[in-house]
Amino acid sequence: MTSVAERPDPMTDPMSRHTPPAARRDLGWIGIPLVAAVGLAAYWLLPDDLALLTRIAASALFVLSLDLVLGYGGIATLGQAAMFGTGAYAAGIVAVNWNSDPFVMLAAGGLAGGLVALVTGALILHARGLTLLMLTIAVGQIVQEVANKARDWTGGSDGLSGIDPAPVLGLFRFDMFGRTSYLFALAVLVAGLMVARRIVRSPFGLACRGVREDPLRISAIGGSPKSYLVALYGVAGVFAGVAGALTAVTSGIVGLDSAGFPWSAEALVMLVLGGTGRLYGAVIGTAAFMGIHHVLAASDPFHWMGFIGLFLIGIVLFLPGGIASGFERLGALLRGKENRA
Amino acid sequence: MTKLLEVEGLSKNFGGLQVSSDISMTLNAGDRCALIGPNGAGKTTFVNLVTGVIPPSAGTIRLDGQDITKLPAAERVRLGLIRSFQVARLFKSMTVREHLELAVLQRGRRTFRLFANVAKVAGLADEVAGLLDTMGLSQVAHTAVGSLAYGQQRLLEIALALAMKPKVLILDEPAAGVPHSESQRILDAIDRLPRELAVLMIEHDMDLVFRFARTIVVLAQGRLLCSGTAREIVADPRVREVYLGSRADAH
Repeated sequence: MTSVAERPDPMTDPMSRHTPPAARRDLGWIGIPLVAAVGLAAYWLLPDDLALLTRIAASALFVLSLDLVLGYGGIATLGQAAMFGTGAYAAGIVAVNWNSDPFVMLAAGGLAGGLVALVTGALILHARGLTLLMLTIAVGQIVQEVANKARDWTGGSDGLSGIDPAPVLGLFRFDMFGRTSYLFALAVLVAGLMVARRIVRSPFGLACRGVREDPLRISAIGGSPKSYLVALYGVAGVFAGVAGALTAVTSGIVGLDSAGFPWSAEALVMLVLGGTGRLYGAVIGTAAFMGIHHVLAASDPFHWMGFIGLFLIGIVLFLPGGIASGFERLGALLRGKENRA
Repeated sequence: MTKLLEVEGLSKNFGGLQVSSDISMTLNAGDRCALIGPNGAGKTTFVNLVTGVIPPSAGTIRLDGQDITKLPAAERVRLGLIRSFQVARLFKSMTVREHLELAVLQRGRRTFRLFANVAKVAGLADEVAGLLDTMGLSQVAHTAVGSLAYGQQRLLEIALALAMKPKVLILDEPAAGVPHSESQRILDAIDRLPRELAVLMIEHDMDLVFRFARTIVVLAQGRLLCSGTAREIVADPRVREVYLGSRADAH
């Protein structure tokens, strides 16, 4: 074939010299140690902001669950908080009534979030696009309303309080300065990133990316797109549930807003800000959004949301792949220089 | 000879409109058969009926002796009835290698392994390397499909079909969109397909058809007009009238 022969050799063609997309997307192995290192550095550099940092870590795990669903499965959802809230309430209820070991709480949250995701996913994931978006919102509203009505268990609109987690591994008490809380949240986030990275690089992760690109083509090679999506939704539900439980552990309180629509939407904003389909984009987006929020809300409590909006517009216009894609371009530029040198 | 695909009395009507009527044909192991016919002859409908994209109104389809008339499309694929697409339908952001890995894993039903590493699945790397080599795609293994030349995408379509270990392979215009001068490379790839495979090619380009096919089936207006060896088909006056004649009208 002449045009193939005329084409530049793929090994030297600059268009195709780049690293395989899978490796590019999660920055190889350095992304996760980097999150751990930056997280630990923040522990020493910002000792007065540990409460904020803890919220960022737990929220990042939640946004990570959304990245699994949206970035790797292409599922448009505005109801991811349903799983977060379920996990948070499950962990809180278990802690108040039976066992307040933090790991037991995380397990309860993950289990509850995964179950809700599997059941609702099986019911709604035949739909696509706008219809699916509506259905995910509806699931979120139902979970929130159930939590509101089940006052005896959840405290209703007063929230579930009195969660007093036992020391981590029986050794580390949750102190009033929030040091244990933060380190625990950071450790869970890093563990979550490692598990998520494993999953997206597995045969299952590969199949899910195929479904995101073209579900019909997956059928044509003998796969069932819906079963992949339901399984992925369930897996992400476990992550969201653990994130909710982590919030319950570190904050000691669970409110109705943890399952609310605004929380789902905010997670989506954070993910788009950071960059989808990369895992660490979720962490960057959450840190950027909540960090900016914190600084601006303190200096200008009335207009901070406007600044966030401007920032988001800027990112979408100039870095459509999110902040993470900016880092990638920078990295590619530096690598290019090295190669030429 | 083993009968791999047996189609009997296959018909399809959409309301009063009969798009396929009473088509019967057989593919044996090792067959290289071309399905031809003028535009609107019902070739695509026939492929969609056989592969299970649309249900037939009447008739039966057997694959390797098993009745598959009522099986869903994905199940037919698992049994070895594989098609390639007329317009390359690939996962644009995935690399050539990832496509083949996915197809091989899917065939072995190993895609629900959540914690396995694709790079370490037993036997996968070797099989994928073999497929890349057969189709001459080794050099572009790590290239995202979106930036491949179109001819290479067509080769990947065939490699993808091959990765699913087909018994019957239906190639829907495998050289569509590829410049005529380059179609030989696609034909070379088809030549390297396993001998025992039954291959049915849907094709407009008569030059390609004569280079590929040992037998030819002609469809016209949803009916089977005639079938036979390439020599018989060329000599058949009905084919000249319906196929070549309508082509001449079009010009």
